[in-house]
Amino acid sequence: MTFYTLGIETSCDETAAAVLEGHDTVLSSVVSSQAQLHARFGGVVPEIASRAHVELITPVVADALGEAGIRGNQVDLVAVTSGPGLIGALLVGLSAAKALALVWDVPFIGVNHLEAHLYASFLEEPELEFPLVVLLVSGGHTMLIEMRGHGDFHILGRTVDDAAGEAFDKVARYLGLGYPGGPAIDLLSMEGDPEAIDFPRAMRNEGLDFSFSGLKTAVVNHVRSNPDVDVADVAASFQEAVVDVLLLKAERAVEQVGATGLCLAGGVAANSSLRERTLDLSMSRGFPAYLPSRSMCTDNAAMVAAAGARRFHDDGPSPLDLGADSSLPLLG
Amino acid sequence: MLILGIETSTEQVGCAIGGHEGVLASAHTVRGRQHAESLAPQIDFVRRQARIEMSEISLVAVDIGPGLYTGLRVGVATAVATAFALGVPMIAVSSLDLVAFPVRFTPKLIMATLDARRSEVFYALYRQVPGGIQRLSEPKVATPEEASSHLLARGGDCLLVGDGALRYRRVFEENHRSDFVEQGFAHPSAGSLVQLAHAQALREEWINPWEVEPLYLRRPDAEINWHSRERP
Ligand SMILES: [Zn+2]
Repeated sequence: MTFYTLGIETSCDETAAAVLEGHDTVLSSVVSSQAQLHARFGGVVPEIASRAHVELITPVVADALGEAGIRGNQVDLVAVTSGPGLIGALLVGLSAAKALALVWDVPFIGVNHLEAHLYASFLEEPELEFPLVVLLVSGGHTMLIEMRGHGDFHILGRTVDDAAGEAFDKVARYLGLGYPGGPAIDLLSMEGDPEAIDFPRAMRNEGLDFSFSGLKTAVVNHVRSNPDVDVADVAASFQEAVVDVLLLKAERAVEQVGATGLCLAGGVAANSSLRERTLDLSMSRGFPAYLPSRSMCTDNAAMVAAAGARRFHDDGPSPLDLGADSSLPLLG
Repeated sequence: MLILGIETSTEQVGCAIGGHEGVLASAHTVRGRQHAESLAPQIDFVRRQARIEMSEISLVAVDIGPGLYTGLRVGVATAVATAFALGVPMIAVSSLDLVAFPVRFTPKLIMATLDARRSEVFYALYRQVPGGIQRLSEPKVATPEEASSHLLARGGDCLLVGDGALRYRRVFEENHRSDFVEQGFAHPSAGSLVQLAHAQALREEWINPWEVEPLYLRRPDAEINWHSRERP
């Protein structure tokens, strides 16, 4: 029998809904980005995000059902991000999800946004074998995670200060490239020389943790003392430094746990250089790398539905009085 | 016709179900900042008490504020998603109407107020009309002093209702000969919401779920700062 999960995601500035059949067949994945609304402020404004989610949530759910070709009352499970994220934004999706589950008389489940990112790879490669190492890199998080089984995670390393995506945004803002910073730096880097400037690679020889705040400072200092520097070179060299450190640690993690492969996840996993160099690493070191398509790396609801469906079958539904948790940890 | 009413614009979470026969069941809880936790279980509870199925609901009424943003959004997102899933229309009612409605039997001018935080109140003026209330001024956000002088300008005896008037009672008393409605009426009532929505539904004044918008009355701070930066 088919099992349809409706996923809902509103943890930051994307309003998203998706319909999943079984564990890994995505029937629809609709993402309405508010990036334009926030661009002039140089970052996500929580109050503006929350207001936009209220406007967009029902049309986005309607689109997801329509594209999947199913009616609401065919949905078997409603899965929604309940944290971590912006509290006001999370509450909109959570409230809508509970209401839909009440009307359709089906269970509802709250999903950890980070766990959802981990499941993006499984949507395109359902047969992945454990243990796996996932490099989760986004605007809010930079982590190396060992997946020992479904729902069985172990954090190997994490950033001690800024997230990688945060560093991209801050550097982009400093260089006047606008918001969101990741895609802007990615694009400009293609015209620059990644070896032009030797930016620091922090914590190179120390374990599996990351640090990016020093790198951001180094970029600012370099531009200050070299006002005529080519911005494309700065962007490319900065990006190279970030990717170097990410992959150095990811490779170390794969070796350390004897993983079957390396998965990328999170918004920064859409970065061209990170994707290319992950494939190079996989070739040269002889372990498989899994790169979800770009639309599955950035925030979407298909990954929420996938993680929710897995959790539901293992642990059952969430209670209707579940709240949102802006700092929900991956390991609860 | 069965109406589900949802109101969450203050610290209170309320919901009620009713129709031609009046309110069948209602519940209100005041546990600060627990809107998202409380509302869905409360709807389920009220539905059971009313002994109906969700599928029997033919209209969803919602309090669109003004009020405290977080609670307001929980209520509006819940109500809109409910109406969408049921495929039924909606009626949007201002929180201030809901505060004024229970005191409609007074011949005095009614000022409905809600605490807007940041030393301001939301308010609007009403008077009794046959069968209900009539709003005389659009909902506004202002300091209690401004609201009070608005009242003074109208003259006459006045009845103040809502948690805004209670919080700033001394400001309103300084200016004016006013009566205050006690604590029990300080928040919008979900029962009133169902009653008001029923009257509007008989006049077929409903809207589609995607047309419902919260009444914020304030722009986001970031936008205000942005504009003040543009025009120093
Ligand atoms: Zn994310």
